[in-house]
Amino acid sequence: MATAADRRVEEGTRRGWLGHGRELLRAGREPLASLAGVGLVLLAAAVFAPHFYSVQNLSNVVRQMGFLCVVALGQTFVLLVAGIDLSVGGLQGLAMVALAQITHGRDAALLPAIGFAFLAGAAVGLVNAALVVGRRVPPFVATFATFVLVEGLLLLWTGGAPSGSIPTGIQVLGAGSVGPIPVPSLIAAGLVLIAAFVLRRTGYGLFVYATGANRLAAAMSGLPTKRVIASTYVISALLAVLAGLMISGYAGYVDTYLTQSLNLDSIAAAIVGGTSLLGGRGGVFRTLAGVLLISVVVNFMVILNAGQAGQLLIEGLVIILAVLLQMRGRVER
Amino acid sequence: MHMNVARWRVGVTAAALLGLIGAACSTANAPTSSTGGNQSCKSASSLQAQLVQTWHRDQAELGVPQMAPPAQQICMVDTSKFKKPGPYHIAFASQGPTNSWAVEYDAALKHEAQTLGIDVLYASANGDAATQVQNLQDLLIQKPDALVVTPMGSAIEGQLHRYAQQGIPVVVCTGQLSDTQDFVTTVNRSYALQGSLWAEWVAKQIGYKGDVAMLSGIAGVPTAEYEYQAAKQVFARYPNIHIVTHQYDDWSPTKAKQVADTLAVNYPHLNAVWTDSGFSAIGVIQAYSAAHLPIPPVTGDTSNGFLRLAKQYNVTFATSPYPPEQSAKCLDAANQILQGKSVPSYIEYDAPVFTNKDVDKYFRPQCSDSLWIPAQLPDSVLKSLNLC
Repeated sequence: MATAADRRVEEGTRRGWLGHGRELLRAGREPLASLAGVGLVLLAAAVFAPHFYSVQNLSNVVRQMGFLCVVALGQTFVLLVAGIDLSVGGLQGLAMVALAQITHGRDAALLPAIGFAFLAGAAVGLVNAALVVGRRVPPFVATFATFVLVEGLLLLWTGGAPSGSIPTGIQVLGAGSVGPIPVPSLIAAGLVLIAAFVLRRTGYGLFVYATGANRLAAAMSGLPTKRVIASTYVISALLAVLAGLMISGYAGYVDTYLTQSLNLDSIAAAIVGGTSLLGGRGGVFRTLAGVLLISVVVNFMVILNAGQAGQLLIEGLVIILAVLLQMRGRVER
Repeated sequence: MHMNVARWRVGVTAAALLGLIGAACSTANAPTSSTGGNQSCKSASSLQAQLVQTWHRDQAELGVPQMAPPAQQICMVDTSKFKKPGPYHIAFASQGPTNSWAVEYDAALKHEAQTLGIDVLYASANGDAATQVQNLQDLLIQKPDALVVTPMGSAIEGQLHRYAQQGIPVVVCTGQLSDTQDFVTTVNRSYALQGSLWAEWVAKQIGYKGDVAMLSGIAGVPTAEYEYQAAKQVFARYPNIHIVTHQYDDWSPTKAKQVADTLAVNYPHLNAVWTDSGFSAIGVIQAYSAAHLPIPPVTGDTSNGFLRLAKQYNVTFATSPYPPEQSAKCLDAANQILQGKSVPSYIEYDAPVFTNKDVDKYFRPQCSDSLWIPAQLPDSVLKSLNLC
């Protein structure tokens, strides 16, 4: 006669196999959903817009993915510790303005300008960290405040009109290609691999997930949660600056309007891929899947000539579907 | 480098309109209409005729068929009830220095204020209608003699009517509001003229047949939408012109280039691109040149950066600025209102119209790409703004 303990073991074993399977399915649901969405778009493109598959268009899509991916990677680190970074748009603007104002279009001044941009970015990341960790200001409020602060400083610095041009030496970061592969996508790919290694194979990565999943428990276990959270904001800031430099090289102009849209795009990409807003769940490959889906959908809508309304509707639906999938997975647990 | 002054007639139309005040006022039997019950407004057919002449002159400049402007009643507004002794304190609810155009715009008004000895109460909306509503409340508390407002959207109309109800004359500057009857005057470069003029030029340029792409700025913003609608109506008259796509690029150089990259892939042999801004035109030039494709004829307003690239790549284009110096004309109008001088209910701001043939007359190689041509401000002011 089986004892209660035996039944629990048996149940545990049965659930272990099935449970593992279910867990795997759950864990893979969001990125798989994104990839399935990409598959659907690719299929639709084959039918409705064969131009989509031209080398030049695919190259465009991959290039655009590169810019978004770099920012979204930083956002992923912050989201994993249950934070959010609304200052990334401002930091991209800062990188662009620094390039124009310091170099005045001269390649000779490129390195100091880049150095300044990264230093300023790190400083803003530290301010975010100090507010969130040191003063316990909600991340949404803290990073929005620094975004506004950075925008104000840029206005003060430039008087509203950045002078000088973007030096040609930076163009390779945004407009360059190695063979058929755009440089931005190579940079993004390299960063994805590094980030994946850090998050999956290092103690720091473990700390990030543990802090995001349950900060109190992680702190009581002796993990340096404050330093971990602070580091994610600095990483996010530095990657936002890098994206700003890349975009400067691509456009060749200081683009202050862009700062308003990239905040939400980077968050959307991470969430669509399956990184949780509540922390502790997600990862760089999920973000990559989200970036891929958003970039492909946007490009396909433009090719289809869907118009602004169509583009916004489809993008909105994609985000809603992704969040619904996340919520379903959470309820099941 | 200075502009070709003979061709550039900024402000001339407005001056001519004001000069016709006498004629309008002396029309003994001219019917007195109302712009909304608050303003006494004498119909002035001569002013409307002047507007038609401006349209025809600009159309002739590009060699396109003549079209009449949209039906619009212009009249002379009796401003005697606003007359008061100076010095004046005039509120300026501005867009704020969100880009280089807006920086020149603010600087032009402040420069004019210095010249006229006017005290300006300034508020920046940072490009946001909600902020502007708050700004308008704050400015009203300071009891200004008049208000010059750059409308960020129709959401501010309620606030503007409050000004009118309190007897403060309102000058709508570089914008288009749906209900202007309580406001004394509107100063603007006609969106309909810009949009239709470029469309007619495109049509002529491609022999009234072929594929055209259209690029607009921000969806829902009046400047983008009115110009697009005007252009669409023109293209609709030519059945052999196919609008292959219409996209918005948010007047962002980066997004403009992204959209243009996609255009270059899908429509490598476009006959022309109609755009409403120099930013979009820059994106088109960059994308098609990077793809080693022939750059299609293009339109847009006039930044120095656009002219630089157009010259570099020998691009065929037609352009007409949306001059930031309109703000100075708005302040002039407010000043005249407070002096009790009649003003037209609508002041069309004149601007040059030119093509690639005249690029050297307008391009200023020593100045920043961010400079908006033709840049009427003194060189010292432009230098202080780091634009030249």
